[in-house]
Amino acid sequence: MFLQRLNPSYKAVTIIVFIIFLATIFEPVTPLLFLIWTLAVTFLFGGVSLKKYLLYFTPFIIFALGMLWTSIAFADTPNNPSDTISLFGTSLPKESVLTALALSLRVLNVAALSLMFVFTTNIVHFILSMMQQLKLPPRIAYGVLAGYRFLPMLKDELMIIHDAHRIRGVNQAKTMREKWQNYKRYLIPLLASAIRKAERTAMAMESKGFTGDKSRSFYRQFSIQKQDFIFSIIMLIGFTISYLISYQLG
Amino acid sequence: MKPLLQVENLSLRYEMEKQNVLSSLNFKLNRGESVLLLGPSGSGKSTLTSCLNGLFPRELDGEMSGNVFVHGVENRETKPGERSQAVGVVFQDPETQFCMMTVEDEVAFGLENIGIAHQEMEEKIDSALALVNMLPYKKTDIATLSGGQKQKLALACILALKPELIILDEPTANLDPIATRDFISTLKDLKNNLNFGLIVIEHKLDGWTEITERVILLNQHGEIFHDGSIREVIKEKGQQLKEEGIWIPRVTEHILREHPYLQEPPLTVEEYRRNPVLLADREIDQPIKTESNTVPLLEAKDISWTVNKHEILHNISLTFHQGEFVAIVGANGSGKTSLSRMLAGLRQPTTGNLLVHGKPIKQWKESMLRQEIGYVFQNPEHQFITNTVYDEVAFSLQWKDMRPSQVQEKVEEILDTCGLLKLKHAHPFTLSQGQKRRLSVATMLIDNQSLLLLDEPTFGQDAHSNQELMKLLHKKHQTGATLIMITHDMDLIHDYATRVIIMKDGRVVEDCSPSELWKGDPEKLEAWQLTLPVAVQLKNIYEEEVNDVLTTT
Repeated sequence: MFLQRLNPSYKAVTIIVFIIFLATIFEPVTPLLFLIWTLAVTFLFGGVSLKKYLLYFTPFIIFALGMLWTSIAFADTPNNPSDTISLFGTSLPKESVLTALALSLRVLNVAALSLMFVFTTNIVHFILSMMQQLKLPPRIAYGVLAGYRFLPMLKDELMIIHDAHRIRGVNQAKTMREKWQNYKRYLIPLLASAIRKAERTAMAMESKGFTGDKSRSFYRQFSIQKQDFIFSIIMLIGFTISYLISYQLG
Repeated sequence: MKPLLQVENLSLRYEMEKQNVLSSLNFKLNRGESVLLLGPSGSGKSTLTSCLNGLFPRELDGEMSGNVFVHGVENRETKPGERSQAVGVVFQDPETQFCMMTVEDEVAFGLENIGIAHQEMEEKIDSALALVNMLPYKKTDIATLSGGQKQKLALACILALKPELIILDEPTANLDPIATRDFISTLKDLKNNLNFGLIVIEHKLDGWTEITERVILLNQHGEIFHDGSIREVIKEKGQQLKEEGIWIPRVTEHILREHPYLQEPPLTVEEYRRNPVLLADREIDQPIKTESNTVPLLEAKDISWTVNKHEILHNISLTFHQGEFVAIVGANGSGKTSLSRMLAGLRQPTTGNLLVHGKPIKQWKESMLRQEIGYVFQNPEHQFITNTVYDEVAFSLQWKDMRPSQVQEKVEEILDTCGLLKLKHAHPFTLSQGQKRRLSVATMLIDNQSLLLLDEPTFGQDAHSNQELMKLLHKKHQTGATLIMITHDMDLIHDYATRVIIMKDGRVVEDCSPSELWKGDPEKLEAWQLTLPVAVQLKNIYEEEVNDVLTTT
């Protein structure tokens, strides 16, 4: 798919730029329209599965609704209290409602943009391309990559330690406090083995000639191509249209 | 001509320690030559690796004296990373030597480090993978490879850099026997086709003698006590080898046990075939009579276990009686560990029932169940919960109604049997590998559980600590306890087990006594990725030869 083929760093930078753009908008129409645009781009050019998307997007919707309610309920005293609109049978000051809507839509839009990136980007490629396009030092980049491999290992290990301690008869924790103490007990074996593993990995990397030096070649090369510019243009068109329509509506 | 590798007077001491890890090492290695470097755990073998590939003294917290020359150039005179092109290392732990996700990226990592041009990489990656027969796995995720495949990948990563010296740091310590055999034979082929110097660091010798017979032996103080032919050592210093905890080839050990004065004992099964000598059948200690009419200790009825729609165990029914010594074997991923966790009541089966003393496991109180069933994990550290060896053992007694003096007496008795009494104030994490293993077994012995499950307890241990461990387990078995042990070690099964259960793809495919298994179809054994124990192999060869003689005369 189109979004998957883009240069990850360029994609990230573009998205960050639009998040900054959004932060300068204080009315609800632009974020609403741009949100629709972002969602359309994600599904048309990213082929993201709807079910998975909803699973991750729902928490943001809940969060945005919560924000909407609190910003209306705890809004500053409006300049023009007589200008009200009626909502759910109560009349509310129009100004507060609009600010609240703008805020929550902005949250949703930032979430949609981030999810667009997360669902269409291979994290490994992102890190590799950050080294190539954004001059991220290899020392940090490969550190993160090695750490990324560790996560599932740590999860497995935590399971084993949990079982092992249960066998010793410690795991009859019922209260939160006891559970917390149990987790503290897992910490030493977990840390001991993590440190040892990290050390071994570092040794192995060094003995393959890794020095953290910036002069290195790349097997997977990432470059910025025409399609990357096309992506920015698509997003820019969407943003401009949303802005213009909102301007027309006043 | 200068030798490929020359080590002169190499001594090394870590910052926090009083004694040298390595003392005055001197040896040479010529181009294309191979050597086995043997020593017990804690003899500084891995430290030596870091000295040879130039990581030390740069990264060392401590003092290092003496010189290491590769092609006449001292390691200290090279830039960081430069040595890696001449000296490649494959490490012991298959899990922690990679930093990328897929096979191709990992091989590329080394090439990138030395700045190989992008256009040349693909070809170099392919040829390196082809050398170790891993080309079909080029795009595979490293996490899904087996241990043996991971070690071959590690080797490919090194080969891609075309080093002149390859160091293997206990490369097969974490592999099962079949994967070990495969790794060694891959290496043997490579050695015939490519001209690299090879140092194999090991504590067991099986298989490696086919590659080279030159050995350098380190003792516990990090000194070289022999540099020469393996045959000489076995002849002259056999006893010392044993004391240092170095495994001599199992074939040799078996034959020397019967014929201690044999001048040229064979090192491999093939050598024995050429010159077989009579071996008497060894008596296996008779297991305590099991009374099958009593209620079985543990009964699994038709248990299955499904995780994420993936069936890990499939309709398993097993009955365990008191006094059995059961071995569970099978290839990696066949469900051995899952089954053992289930039998210990750590996991609930998706369907089916587990009965302990005839009572469903769900009706047991957790604390009561733990007094019936013990479990020794593969990595002993996972089980430690307190700060001293003494507390670790005493912890298991805290719920028992015992006077403090009784507790102390009992703990010290157990520590004494396990050879840990002197270390009772030490922190469990500071013990050596073998001591940690014994401590983890001790914590399970003190509770006097009637059933003890063990998950590959002999993994990565040296010869000496293995013997100690098996002695402990044997003693426990003699008291009438039931032991269920997951293992890859067929010799262990031959020597101790009364029953073998073979697992394949989450099913029990065989459940019989060891002697029945040895007599069975050899092709089946091959399919289950099992080998015959050395003693049985030798016996079969001897009988074949005798029959040949009988039929020809």
